[in-house]
Amino acid sequence: MDMACDPDADLTDDALLVLYANGDPMAVRVLTARLTPRALAYAARMLGGDRAEAEDVTQEAMLRLWRIAPDWRQGEAKVSTWLYRVVTNLCTDRLRKRQSRKAVTLDEAPEIEDGHAGVEAGLMERDRMAALNHALETLPERQRQAVVLRHIEGLTNPEIADIMEIGVEAVESLTARGKRSLAAALAGQKQELGYEEGR
Amino acid sequence: MTDTDIDDLFAMARDETPKPSAALMERVLADGQALQPRAPSPLRAKIAPQPGFWSMLLSAIGGGGGLAGLTTATLAGLWIGFFQPSSVSAMTDVIWSEGAAVDLVELIPSYDDFLTEG
Repeated sequence: MDMACDPDADLTDDALLVLYANGDPMAVRVLTARLTPRALAYAARMLGGDRAEAEDVTQEAMLRLWRIAPDWRQGEAKVSTWLYRVVTNLCTDRLRKRQSRKAVTLDEAPEIEDGHAGVEAGLMERDRMAALNHALETLPERQRQAVVLRHIEGLTNPEIADIMEIGVEAVESLTARGKRSLAAALAGQKQELGYEEGR
Repeated sequence: MTDTDIDDLFAMARDETPKPSAALMERVLADGQALQPRAPSPLRAKIAPQPGFWSMLLSAIGGGGGLAGLTTATLAGLWIGFFQPSSVSAMTDVIWSEGAAVDLVELIPSYDDFLTEG
């Protein structure tokens, strides 16, 4: 199945959702191709890289989108904002369940191999991503949401404010604090991750 | 870790965006197709059958109830006509018996009387 191209790039998500509700078979393909990767990427970041759980969350979020389509009021909200909000809520539920099972601490951070001379660049990248994902997991929920949406998903502060249903200033504060907490969480692994001292 | 180091990590994370598997895309698409409202299509809409002669006649006389009433009345008429029930003849004998004297009283004189007199 080739869903990589988006021949209807000029149609907004909003318009596509209305077409979907009117039974247009093209709309379901374009919306799937356009929104599933975004939902999955965000869910995976929020869930600390747990792929299977992120796929479950993505499918559930998209299912809710299909169900709400007939009642969707065009122009009232952005489809992507709505979807990010649903993914956020689903991830929050799962993280809370997970936290009730075990408390995540930095001590459980994956062992990072010593940066000996033969380490390949790919391994270093993998270590860095693993460390980032783990450090993100240690952040308070709201900080993590704001940091991922701002710095990894690349959304604007007003968009994040819409998704998190808070003010823009609160978003700025959350991202700033989140970034500081990340720096602190990763400080001990600076050398292992290949970052030079004093930088 | 400096801000630059963190930004570097974020940039790397953006480049390594997890991609959905083909299986997930298929599942999402299948859900979407299954839940998609059906468009009203002229091809799919069934053409209402034209009513036939008998059904038109039936509806003209008021449906099944009308037909039952009409049949009962017809049969009753036939029965009365052919068999002349005794209760009916007994009643008519009383009113119009052979030997009954009928007194006729002219309450209003006919016009003819006035006409002949001029």
